[in-house]
Amino acid sequence: MTARRTITDLGVALLAIAAIAAALEIWSRALQVPSYLLPAPSAVAARMATDAGLLAREGGITLSEAAAGFVLGTSVAFALATAMAWSRPLERTLFPLAILVKLTPIVAIAPLFTLWFGFGTAPKVAIAALITFFPMLVNSFVGLRSADLQEVAFLQTLGASGREIFRHLRVPSALPYLFSGARISLNLALIGAVIGEWTGADRGLGRVIFVANANLDLTILFGAVLVLAAIGIAANALVGAAERRVLHWHPIAVAT
Amino acid sequence: MARLASSEVPVAIALHNVSAGYRGPVLRDIDLEVGNEVVAVVGRSGSGKTTLLRLIAGLIEPTSGTVDLLGVAPAIARRRKRIGFVAQDARLHPWRTVGENVTLPLEVNRSARTNGHVSPEEWVARMGLTEAIDAYPHQLSGGMRQRVALARSLVIDPQVLLMDEPLASLDELTREDLRDELLRLWESRARSVVYVTHDIEEAVLLADRVVVIGGTRPARILGEVRIFLARPRTKRDPRFYDLVQEVREHLE
Repeated sequence: MTARRTITDLGVALLAIAAIAAALEIWSRALQVPSYLLPAPSAVAARMATDAGLLAREGGITLSEAAAGFVLGTSVAFALATAMAWSRPLERTLFPLAILVKLTPIVAIAPLFTLWFGFGTAPKVAIAALITFFPMLVNSFVGLRSADLQEVAFLQTLGASGREIFRHLRVPSALPYLFSGARISLNLALIGAVIGEWTGADRGLGRVIFVANANLDLTILFGAVLVLAAIGIAANALVGAAERRVLHWHPIAVAT
Repeated sequence: MARLASSEVPVAIALHNVSAGYRGPVLRDIDLEVGNEVVAVVGRSGSGKTTLLRLIAGLIEPTSGTVDLLGVAPAIARRRKRIGFVAQDARLHPWRTVGENVTLPLEVNRSARTNGHVSPEEWVARMGLTEAIDAYPHQLSGGMRQRVALARSLVIDPQVLLMDEPLASLDELTREDLRDELLRLWESRARSVVYVTHDIEEAVLLADRVVVIGGTRPARILGEVRIFLARPRTKRDPRFYDLVQEVREHLE
């Protein structure tokens, strides 16, 4: 059922994309829009075919930076959320700090990261980690706190330790929240990696977009954006599939 | 049914002069001793029945007085895995199958020795859940879920069984079935049972003694009625409604 549904969804999405592309194509040809303002989809497609190697290589770099940032940011977030769920004083100390991180405009401090960590991979990973941190922290924290109190009491009457309650009850209870946190964080990680590349890099899709912008080379710019979108969609689908597998017991997973 | 006969500990649960509460006082001057018998606690909702159970289980501390469970503090009894707990509308662990939910109590606090002579599979069978053993809680009816909750609380063979309105969220027919099931369980092995309910008739059908709590907050014990009717009991027994009336009078 779910497989057929996924295929149907995919079909509808592709149809919508094709319709938009066709409309753009007709529009740009009819009005002869110059390609440095808005390139025709056919021109973008042709350019993507020519530079497929470049896009794949740079896309791979951006993807690995985003993935590393995602893993780093979400792991730290989960660890801190665990500590916060454990102790109220720690929650009161850490939460304002987390909000401070959240409210700091990443775009504004991204150049600082380049300054600190150089032009290599490190600043991109750091920015991606920073941007994924907050949604994962909030979701993990709420998730760990969402455990059914009756079930907590039940385990306590059995003499279960805090660790056992954590492992057997709190973590599984948090899983639906962890997955929605992961979905949000995943897309943010990609944006973070691109922002990092934008502010100073010689590699990655962000760099491709930056250079294309400077040269008004819009076909490769749109090509890079499309590759980025494709990575995002694929990553989301992957999380969605994992979610359906892991949360097969969850009412929401059952409903979809 | 054997009562106080085969008891290793004459008084399994003993509350002396206990007062308790959360922000404000909920219970005061509670004196209650439970041997190997079924004691039903009735009272209006919000009268502190659940608080009483939490006190006995040691989940909250009394503000004054003492609570003894099997001769020790509740916290120690818990660590020894002597307490079975069944809540109203148990949600179980939704990521575990019926079978896995029933074995859960054996997976935590492993250092405690449990004298379970009856295997988890056997409990699943006794509760009529064998066919549902691989099902997940969301696939079960409320009655089935309560059966799982019963099975998982009994799998450690607790000496003290605390039940918080375990049948309250079920339909009448399922309740009757489970009531019979409970009676059979209690008859097969003497235990100390504290059964909280707001249903007076259910209390009279099940218990050896009915303790009434209530009054203005903090609540206290308003009275106690011994139920001498032989089991199985029926509402057609002419003395049944006299006893119900007697309990009711304590409440008013």
